[in-house]
Order: sequence, then C-alpha cells, then structure tokens
Amino acid sequence: MRPGRILWLAAVVGAAACVERATAPATCPAYCPSGSLTVVDTLLRGAVSRDSAYRGYVPAFHAGVMLAAALPGIDSRAIFQLAPLGVRVALGTDTTTSPIIGVDSLRLFLSITRRDTAAHNLTLALYRLPLGIDSTTTFADLAGAFTDSLAKTVNIDSLLARSNGKDTVTGDSVAVDTTKRVAVVMRLDSSQAPYASADSGKLALGIRVGADSLASIALTVDTIRWFVKVDSIHGSDTTLVHKLYARGVTFRSFVFDPPPAPFGSMLAVGGVPSARSILRLSVPRAILDSSQIIRGTLILVPAVPASGAPADSFKIEAHTVLADFGAKSPLVFDATRTDTALIRIGATGATDTLTIEITNLVQFWATDTLAPTTVMLRSQAEGANLAEIRFFSSATPASAPVLRLTYAPRFPFGLR
Amino acid sequence: MMRVDRRRGGPAVGLLAVLFLTAGAPVRLTAQDSQFGIRGLGTPGRWESVRARSTGGAFAPFDLTSPLMEASLADAGRLVAGAMEGASYRRSELAGTAASLRETRFPLMGLSGRVFGRLAVSGGFTTYLDRSWDVTIRDTVVLRGTPQPYTDEIASDGGVADLRLAAATRLRSWLAVGAGVHLLSGSTRVSATRRFDDSTSYQKLQQSDEVSYDGFGVSGSLLLDLTRALRLAAWARSDDRLRARVGSVVTAETDLPNMIGGGVRLAPSPSARLAAAVAWRSWSRAGPGSFNTLSWSAGMEVGAGLGPFRLGVRGGQLPFGPGATAPTEFGIAAGTGRAFAEGRGIIDFGVERLQRSGGGLEERVWTFLLGLTIRP
Repeated sequence: MRPGRILWLAAVVGAAACVERATAPATCPAYCPSGSLTVVDTLLRGAVSRDSAYRGYVPAFHAGVMLAAALPGIDSRAIFQLAPLGVRVALGTDTTTSPIIGVDSLRLFLSITRRDTAAHNLTLALYRLPLGIDSTTTFADLAGAFTDSLAKTVNIDSLLARSNGKDTVTGDSVAVDTTKRVAVVMRLDSSQAPYASADSGKLALGIRVGADSLASIALTVDTIRWFVKVDSIHGSDTTLVHKLYARGVTFRSFVFDPPPAPFGSMLAVGGVPSARSILRLSVPRAILDSSQIIRGTLILVPAVPASGAPADSFKIEAHTVLADFGAKSPLVFDATRTDTALIRIGATGATDTLTIEITNLVQFWATDTLAPTTVMLRSQAEGANLAEIRFFSSATPASAPVLRLTYAPRFPFGLR
Repeated sequence: MMRVDRRRGGPAVGLLAVLFLTAGAPVRLTAQDSQFGIRGLGTPGRWESVRARSTGGAFAPFDLTSPLMEASLADAGRLVAGAMEGASYRRSELAGTAASLRETRFPLMGLSGRVFGRLAVSGGFTTYLDRSWDVTIRDTVVLRGTPQPYTDEIASDGGVADLRLAAATRLRSWLAVGAGVHLLSGSTRVSATRRFDDSTSYQKLQQSDEVSYDGFGVSGSLLLDLTRALRLAAWARSDDRLRARVGSVVTAETDLPNMIGGGVRLAPSPSARLAAAVAWRSWSRAGPGSFNTLSWSAGMEVGAGLGPFRLGVRGGQLPFGPGATAPTEFGIAAGTGRAFAEGRGIIDFGVERLQRSGGGLEERVWTFLLGLTIRP
C-alpha cells in the first residue's frame, strides 16, 4: 500500500474516532432514568447538647488593638506606656554620650483602625497616666488620672475639615488612607509631655474617646518622636543640640467598665476578654455515613443582643476541633472547615434568630467519622471588639440551638 | 467473496491494525446512545460486521465475521481476525427540543479459524447492550420554604459486552451447524449531579458509582445449502438473566430474551448476492416498558475485487420505549470494501441512515462504519 493511502486511511480512522460527550435534554419520566436524586431537609432538634461558654481567650493586653468607647453601658479607655528615652544619648559615631537636659516637644503617631463614620465630633482626649501600668491595672485604678491629668484634646472631625487635615497652630494633623484608617499625629509640648530624667523619659498615656454619639474606636499607637535638647560636651563647645529620637510602646491595653457579666446558662461569643462557646452536635450516622450533605445550618436564638456602635459589628467563626478537650479544645484553622456569620449591631432585626452555615463542618465530619462533631464559636477578631452576643443554650429547651440539615440520600445505583 | 489485491503491502497491514486499535479514546468512550434505551436496559447492539451491516444486516447470518450465527464459521479456512469502529451522528427531537449527539464505538472484535479438521472455533466480543447516555433535567424543589431551581445531570457510561466462544463444523457438504456460549459482562460508571442555581446556599450534589453486570447465554445455528446458489440459515439463542451489582450486592436481576431468527441468501452469479433475514426477540421478559421485537432486513452485494458494492434496508422494532407500543426503526445502508497486502487485509467501509420513532421521540442517525479484517 502506498504511503499516501496509509495517511489517508489514518486520517479517516482518526477523524472517525474523535469522541465528544453529548448531553441530551430529558423529558421526564418517559426518557429519564428510573432513579433520581432526592433531597431531604430536616430540623434536628436536640442535636445540640453539652454546650457551654468560656471566657479569657484573648485579654485586653493581648488584643491587636486598643479599644476606646463611650457608649451607653460601656466606658472603655486605651492605655499605653512608651519606651524610655534614657538620660544620655550619643551624638557622634563614637561611644561618647551627652546628657539630655530637656525636651522641646513630642509627636505621638496614632492610627484609628475602626470608627463609626456616623459619629460626629469625634474627640480624642489624651491623659498622662502614672508609670507602672500593666495587665493588672483596672479601670478603677486609673479613674483619678483620667479625671485630673488631661494633657490634650484633639477633635478629629475638625482636623479632617481643615486643609490637608493639619492645624498649623497646634501642630496636630490627621489623614485618611485608602483602607479608611485614620492616621493621627498629636503634637505635645514639654508641659503636656514632660521629660523626667528620674524616669529615663518613660511616659504613660491614656486616651478617652468622645463624640455626639456612637463613640467607639479601635486604635493603635505607632510610635513617638521626642525632640530633645542635648548638652554637647565636645571640648569647650557647650552648644545645645536639638535632636529627634523615636521610641515605641512597651505596653498597651485598655480598661473598661463595667466588667463582663457572668454567662449564667447562656452561650456567649465575643467581648473582652474574649468568650467562646462550645457545642456538641449529634448527627445521625445514617445521614453522615450514607448521605451527601449539601447544606448545614446552626440556628441560635439570641438571649442578649450585641450592643455597641454599628461599626462594632463582628463576624462569628464556627470551627471544628481536632479533639474535644472542652474549653481548651484545639481548633482546626482551615478555611475549608470554617464557616462564618456576621453579627450586626444596631441593625434592624438584631435580635432575630441567628443562622450560621456550617456546611463545611458537617461535610468534614462526613468524610472523617472519627472527628469529634464539636463546634466552637468565636469572634473572628478576638479581643478587638467589646461587643458580645449571647445565645440561649440547650438548658433552655424552647430556644435551644437547632441543627438544620439538607442532604441527599444515596442515588439508587444499579436499578433498572 | 471479495477478490484479494495481490500487490505487496505486508507492513501496511500491521500499521493499519495499530492505527485502528489505537485511534481515538482507548478505553472509556462516553457519548449519548439512543434515548430509547435510557429507561430500559439500554440499546441492544447489532451483532454484525461492517460488511453485514452495510447490507442492512441481511448478510449477518452468512458472514463468519459477524457474531450472529456460529454455523457460518464452518466456512473459515484459516485464522481470521476482525474489528470494527462506528461513529454515529444523531439528531433527536423530543417535545419540540432538538439535540445533536455523537458517539463512537468499537462494537466488535473477534478471532476465528479452523482448529481440528472441519471444526472451527471463534472467540471475541461484541456489544450486547449499550448503556451510555447523559441527560439533563431542569426542575425546582422547595427547600426551607423557598423554591430552588436546579439542574440535574445523570449520566451512564459503559455497557454490557457479549463474550462469545463458538464452534462450528460442516456435517455434510450442504449442512453446517454451530453452537456457542455467551458470557455477558460489563460495567457502567453512573454519576448523578445536581447543581442548584443558588450555589452559595446549596452546594453541588454529586454521587457516582460503578455498576457491574453479568449474565450467561447459549446459542445454536445451522446453515443449509439447498442448491449451490441458495442457502438458508436458522439460529436460536437463549440468555438467562442480567444481574446488576454495586460492589458485591446484587441490585437488580432482569430476564433477558430468547431469540430466533433465520435468513436466506441467493447467489445467482459469483459477483451478485442477495440476502434477507428476520429475527424475533422476546425482550418483553425484561419487564415493564419492554416489548418483543421483530426485525427484518434485505440486502445485496454486487461486484468483487477492487470494489464490491453493498446495499440494504432494515426495519423493525426497538425493545424499550415509554408508550404502549414498541418504537420502530427503519434504515438503509450502503458500503464497499477493499483488500490489500496480498489479501491479508480487508478494509470495509459502510454508511447507515436510521430513523427511529416512538413515544414522541424522533431519532435520525448517520453512522459511519469502518472495519478491518486480517488474515495473517
């Protein structure tokens, strides 16, 4: 056979052997398979048991931000201590140091990471606090200092209204970046932030927030910059040298009043120190082993709605656990095994039943039948929000948590 | 018989065989088969080579490469291996909705030859039931108080093969008999998928499993030469049950049909042959929605050597359908063949046009056939 014919035949065979899947629209039941998928939706009351709440996972001094609020029912104040400046500083490249004899001024760089844009006349009041604040410092310990040691007050809205957000008289400024973060620079003179050589220039400050309403912010202290006067002792030269030195924060926290109320028989999520709730679920084996879960929803009835400003709305995460050790159960931090729900504060229906989709978790339990069917609820940003929501637990049968499952039993394979 | 081409071409035979057996998707051929078989056991295969199918199936009882009858093996002179491929282009219309579908199959492969004196044996497989289909269904279900539209896709990919071991001999110069045993074996990969329009709330539902099938059958046939030009054929076959299994669990048992058939071939000259065949199958044993079928065919083959011309028509009923009566089919076919490599290889081409109707469904099918026969 000539090569040309072989190639021609090969082309014919190849073309004929091309395969493509084709799908036909069906007209049921005449031209449909006898078996079909069925979906069951069921409400599993009593599926949640041995549920309880625990507090203390993230305390205020471990929180990523400081919280300042002046809301009905809660008063929170940010506190922080700055790193010491020292009593002598090096002016040149050698090891010779010169004494600090005073300060010209200090610039404090803050960032407001969360605020309610509906709050008007947002004001930051800066207070000098006694040195030695730490994690055991309470709201009551600092009540006096927050009353009589006001260093400066800055109206954020007024600064934002100015050209470039800067007050050329006081030296204060604000700027809003693309992430809605408000960068605040507060200038303090030597009387507002005195340098005490006996304390090596340590400084403890506190911030209260005020507004016409919805006064609730989260903030961080980025750095401070001291402008100091240094006595140069190079030879016979006694000229004062003005230098700039930056320092960070050695401690930051916030104190608030009143302290969190006991849980009682309720479940709780959020708050500071942060609270978590653990729920043990009993999912029938017939569903987990032989069905495919397509939707799982945890239904919770709020006992006490979350309070605060709308900006304090927070997300609840539902995690499964690697092992059930109660309050100390290690969580599975896997995006595919975590479900979330948003707790809206101040929104209409804030007291409505809360539904948390836990489809990922139930599907995980279906694939790993040895995994504990336990759900831990926690705030997505623990310690970063004073708001806390409380739910009825299984101790209140009429409003107990309920599991709703939508699943498909096994397709009838092998039937004609 | 076709006159062989005596030109050299031995290596080409092997090359073509390799091409034929490796072209396209090698294992899982997924496509839509006839929709008439979706609710039944499937679409029965045709136990015909390309040569026989090009005559509408009329020559199948007399064609030793067609696994319809065993007695025709008695004419096998030496080892013969054959295989075929078919590509179908199907257009179906149902309730005003048209769909264009395509499938490719390798429905036949066999080996036969004389082993002891007059005794010839054959082994091979052919399609018994084709169970490849893929349907989509749009519907709505109320979940949590809200209507949720969804799309279901249910697909079956696979079929049941007929593994045949047959033997035949010529008892007299005018009488040949044959018998065969048939092992039915196969599997389908069945998948069911549901996609909700609201895919955020309801995740995709997907289940799949493999269903295996097995069964057994016996058959017998004879060829009777009344004259040198006139040959009669008769055959019968009985299959027991088709068992469907998922894992090791038998999920369904379906009775399979008994079949009888016959044919007549008239060869008034060496270059002209006429044939007709008829077959009856008791498919109604398979349960509701199944019907006994009677099928017929008539065809001719003229010419020999470089290019015989084949033509045939066929008609009859299909075993599965939704209505009160069996769907019907009518088809015409044509083809030719070509020998090469000193007669060690034969390539057959065929084309078939089928029209099926019943229960509101109309199917029109073009099938292109390619067969390869090798005589080493």
